[in-house]
Amino acid sequence: MIEFHLDGRSGVAPYRQLIHQVRHALRLGLLHEGDQLPKVKDVVAGLAINPNTVLKAYRELEYEGLVAARPGIGTFVTSELDGVPLAAHAPLRRDLRRWLTRARQAGLDDESIEALFASAFRSEREEDIA
Amino acid sequence: MIWLTWRQLRIQAVTAAAALAAFAILLAVTGPHLASLFTTSGITGCHGGACGTAAGRFLGRLAATSPYSLIYELGIGLILAAPALIGIFCGAPLIAREFETRTFSLAWTQSVTRSRWLLAKLALTGLAALAVTEALSLLYDWWAEPIARAIGYGGNQVWQLPAVFSQQRLSFVIFATHGITPLGYAAFGFALGTATGAVIRHAVPAIAVTLAIFAAVQVATPLLIRPHLIPPDHMVVSGPSFFVNAGLSVGTLEASIVPGQPGAWILSSEAINAAGQPVGMIPTSCLQPAVGKGASPDAGACMARRGIRESITYQPASRYWPFQWIETAIFLALALALAGFCFWLLGHRPRYSGEAGPALPRLGDVGLHRPAGRR
Amino acid sequence: MSAVIETSRLGKRYRRTWALADCTLSIPAGHVVGLVGPNGAGKTTLLNLAVGLLAPTAGEIEVLGGRPAASQVQLARVGFLAQDSPVYPGLSVADHLKLGARLNPSWDAELARGRVDRLDLRPTQKAGTLSGGQRAQLALTLAVAKRPELLILDEPVASLDPLARREFLQDLMEAVAEQELSVVLSSHLVADLERVCDYLIVLVGSQVRVAGPVEELLATHYLLTGPCRDPGTLPAGQQVISASHTDVQTTVLVRTDGEILDPAWTVAEIGLEDLVLAYLSQATRRRRRDNHQHLEVQR
Repeated sequence: MIEFHLDGRSGVAPYRQLIHQVRHALRLGLLHEGDQLPKVKDVVAGLAINPNTVLKAYRELEYEGLVAARPGIGTFVTSELDGVPLAAHAPLRRDLRRWLTRARQAGLDDESIEALFASAFRSEREEDIA
Repeated sequence: MIWLTWRQLRIQAVTAAAALAAFAILLAVTGPHLASLFTTSGITGCHGGACGTAAGRFLGRLAATSPYSLIYELGIGLILAAPALIGIFCGAPLIAREFETRTFSLAWTQSVTRSRWLLAKLALTGLAALAVTEALSLLYDWWAEPIARAIGYGGNQVWQLPAVFSQQRLSFVIFATHGITPLGYAAFGFALGTATGAVIRHAVPAIAVTLAIFAAVQVATPLLIRPHLIPPDHMVVSGPSFFVNAGLSVGTLEASIVPGQPGAWILSSEAINAAGQPVGMIPTSCLQPAVGKGASPDAGACMARRGIRESITYQPASRYWPFQWIETAIFLALALALAGFCFWLLGHRPRYSGEAGPALPRLGDVGLHRPAGRR
Repeated sequence: MSAVIETSRLGKRYRRTWALADCTLSIPAGHVVGLVGPNGAGKTTLLNLAVGLLAPTAGEIEVLGGRPAASQVQLARVGFLAQDSPVYPGLSVADHLKLGARLNPSWDAELARGRVDRLDLRPTQKAGTLSGGQRAQLALTLAVAKRPELLILDEPVASLDPLARREFLQDLMEAVAEQELSVVLSSHLVADLERVCDYLIVLVGSQVRVAGPVEELLATHYLLTGPCRDPGTLPAGQQVISASHTDVQTTVLVRTDGEILDPAWTVAEIGLEDLVLAYLSQATRRRRRDNHQHLEVQR
């Protein structure tokens, strides 16, 4: 069973963080179809957060079709994430490392690389929306 | 509530039981010997004047034999003190401690209403207090019965006795220790303690105030109240032997017996002359040079010839039980009134103790605490 | 959803001071409600009125549809934890559980015992020797094990160290999840409340300044930054909570149900702590103005 954690400084709403962590676990293969998500009682006992927060996260995951609640028993994973299978990650990873080498050779330090990546990521996403 | 009341008063209950047990043992150990002294003194089956002398002899022997007068006084002291002790150790803390330790916010938010809480505490503790007092009183009555009978036969007319043995039952001190008045006092003491605690809300000051009020009442009642519960009787004693009949003391001309009224409680007595004016001392012309202890019959005849008589205000012994009922009823009624006051105080205007209500926020209070390092 | 606490112009006066004035609230069920405000604002007064330890001077209050502390049934439905968690110093932990069992018909003995075991409280230990955190946990056990519908807590973690505070809130949230409790808890620290509360009431100077679900409050309050402007020129639907100016810039906190359409403003969201602070300083400013009675400098 996975365990949740909260980052109080991230500025992201707690329920969103929980949703992200479930999706992340699915992506990494820590959760499979049929696995049970932690009970609401246990999540709030561990994190000291409002139960409604957890319920909201689980409800939204259910709405996305990833989990299903069985009353009196718990909440269970119903499907894996549609996404790129891990196999497709390998060539992308290779390309990325090559780009990183080039960036270092051009003289960029760590922070500049991160800033360059973040701004390109953001503008690409905005173009997508627009 | 029964368990909670017991648990919170456990120490007081155990102490009271232990004290009662110790006293009971003391009485049980000395009682049989006292009873045998009584039977061998010849008072049982006596007739007329011989009873008085036999009783006097018996009481004299008791005074000489060490523990008995002490125990007699101890018993009186205990029965007089018990209501005050109940008041300060059971009554005062009952409500006051709940406010002092702020546990009222725990006690009154369980599934028991305040009235029910108070009713249970008052009833259970009150009944226990009455039971202890009554047990004490009954034990003591059983033990002191021989003494009481001897006094009743007039045995205390012998001058050498310690003062305590010369008290009749309808008297200043003894009255409150026999019959049913201890119950009335116990109920009153307990209710007084509880009410004081409810008003003052701190146990120690409540104890002090309760003691003060209770002591004042215990002194005031026989002095000011009891004599007038039933209008007293008057008697004027005259005639040649009135000096002896009324047992006048030579120095003060105060009567110590009411002729024909054994065991009466003398409220006041004075010698008055033919015109009704008080006479302070024996006129010198009636004094005889060879007078020793006690007055000679001639002094009485001399004064009677001059028209001097004795005016006595008294309560006859036969009124003992009416007095008991009236006084007990008064104190029970007071106890109920005080208890009712406690109910009104708790139910009607609940306040929490300590702060007189928060003041307007000071400017420095505004602005929240931010633990360092957090967003 | 029904209201757990409903008040109408509720007020409480001590001699000449109003500890609480003109309080009208309708607190819905199924929430963890945070009551926040500085010391002396009236939080304790309001909570004591809700459990019947105080009687109102003005107005009315209804808890779970009934008058507070009016009957055994009413008392059984509300659990209370007073400030500083008072317990009987001479009674042991087990004695306190017995107290709960004897005085509450709806007592869940297994729940109580389980909690005490989990908290490592020795049953024979006198409650007077417990630490602050342990006392708070014992008091919470007493309040929760009678299975109330509503739990009211007055500054439950104010005097606890950070670890005890976290453990207390964890236990409280677990009880809320398990028993579907409604909770009203007061604090003068917003940080405590942020994680656990989903409904907020800000009480300053004996009056309610703002009340509503946290989500809704955060969604309807905006921090607007822009060129220097008089806050009075904002559209009618936008309520100005606070405003500050430099020589070139104006920053305004507004509350509105609608959208911010003026392109001159840069719009940002606001966190809960900053929102509460803004209301607190608004109240201070108003009181200063009333107290000192001099004209504000108008820009």
